Amino acid sequence: MSDHARFEQLVLPHLGAAYNLARWLARDATDAEDIVQDACIRALKYIASMNRGDAKAWFLTIVRHAFYDWCERNRPAEIARDDGSALEAAVDHAAVDPEQAAVRRAESKVLADAVAELPLAFREVLILREMEELSYKEIARIVDIPIGTVMSRLARARALLQGSPRLRAIAERTPGGER
Amino acid sequence: MKCNQAEPLVAAYADGEVGGLSRHSVEKHLRTCARCAAKHAEVLALRARLRAEVPYFAAPPGLGERMREIVRNTPPTRATTPRPSRLRWQWLGGGALAGSAATVVAFVMGTAVLGWRAGEDVVAQAVATHTRATLDHRLIDVASSDRHTVKPWLSERLDYSPPVRDLVGEGFPLLGGRLDTLGRQTVATLVYGYRKHTIDVFVRPDASAAPPLRELRGFNVVHAREGGWDWLVVSDASPDVLNDFLQKLLRETAKP
Repeated sequence: MSDHARFEQLVLPHLGAAYNLARWLARDATDAEDIVQDACIRALKYIASMNRGDAKAWFLTIVRHAFYDWCERNRPAEIARDDGSALEAAVDHAAVDPEQAAVRRAESKVLADAVAELPLAFREVLILREMEELSYKEIARIVDIPIGTVMSRLARARALLQGSPRLRAIAERTPGGER
Repeated sequence: MKCNQAEPLVAAYADGEVGGLSRHSVEKHLRTCARCAAKHAEVLALRARLRAEVPYFAAPPGLGERMREIVRNTPPTRATTPRPSRLRWQWLGGGALAGSAATVVAFVMGTAVLGWRAGEDVVAQAVATHTRATLDHRLIDVASSDRHTVKPWLSERLDYSPPVRDLVGEGFPLLGGRLDTLGRQTVATLVYGYRKHTIDVFVRPDASAAPPLRELRGFNVVHAREGGWDWLVVSDASPDVLNDFLQKLLRETAKP
């Protein structure tokens, strides 16, 4: 099979997931399209190295890289802010009182905005888990972090979102003993 | 399971990432611990809200067609080296390298370059490898009955691309593949099933010293050299079954 045929058969079916990820990372429709286009061209170039079994995770890895490269060119500040320890520290700070931070947010914003406002490193993990329903292992591979880090980032992302009083109300309405 | 053990697992459990015994323990704990149960319910409630309120952005109409167009107009220039500036690309770039140029070269040079060491050694190693894999339950690195999954997985990790055939119609379903070391060489191991038995087939490009058919520590070993490949089959299934299997495998491989 030619590279082009492989691309059409294996990569194109995941274009929707690619667009959704790019859209949530870039938070802009036009930018998301540019990123997906760049990702498609890269995917074609590397397609010979792909296993059929994990086309989706493979393609989303490329989308993510395309986003970060695009971000470096267009919004370098965003990456700098999200860089390594600075990120952890910044979020630690926010997590000291997620309740308070969230109260401010939840009063005026809906959940979708709260997701869009999550720091990049938490947003991408949350989108891959809750929207794409990928496993920890797949997420670890796409984001290039250990599974333990996937778990801790996911926990932080959820804690930041769950800080909202409205979410608490819903959680309390769910019977505690139910599994 | 105590609360301090269960708590870190609650979110993972809600994500379907806790299996086996731990899963049972977490479930038991959630029935008795209100605090952990509430935490679990929170994750589920958040998930329900995310699904209901957070949009999944559908690709704009025509995006698929535009991408198909762009890709069609892009000449097929394969990556030959990993991009040096980005460590994160390594698994991708490395794969691309193994998948294309390297495979072809080794295919051509295979016979000349690669060789088992002394024949007897290899049979002993093959049996040891087979038993170790069985005992460790590490039978399969890539589990798939689809040869189109197993073959590329193996060729990306080897300097040759082994022939992979399914024999499910003959009663020997392909279970997957594995990498092993035999005679200081990394080889492809194809794993087939036969009733309750597993059959390991070590495949590498043909070399000269051929170990004969024999039995070692209760395991049967059959060997063949055909079509430019060296086949070493190890199982606890009977020699008759193995010979029959090998004949069918070779016949299937010989088909265009």
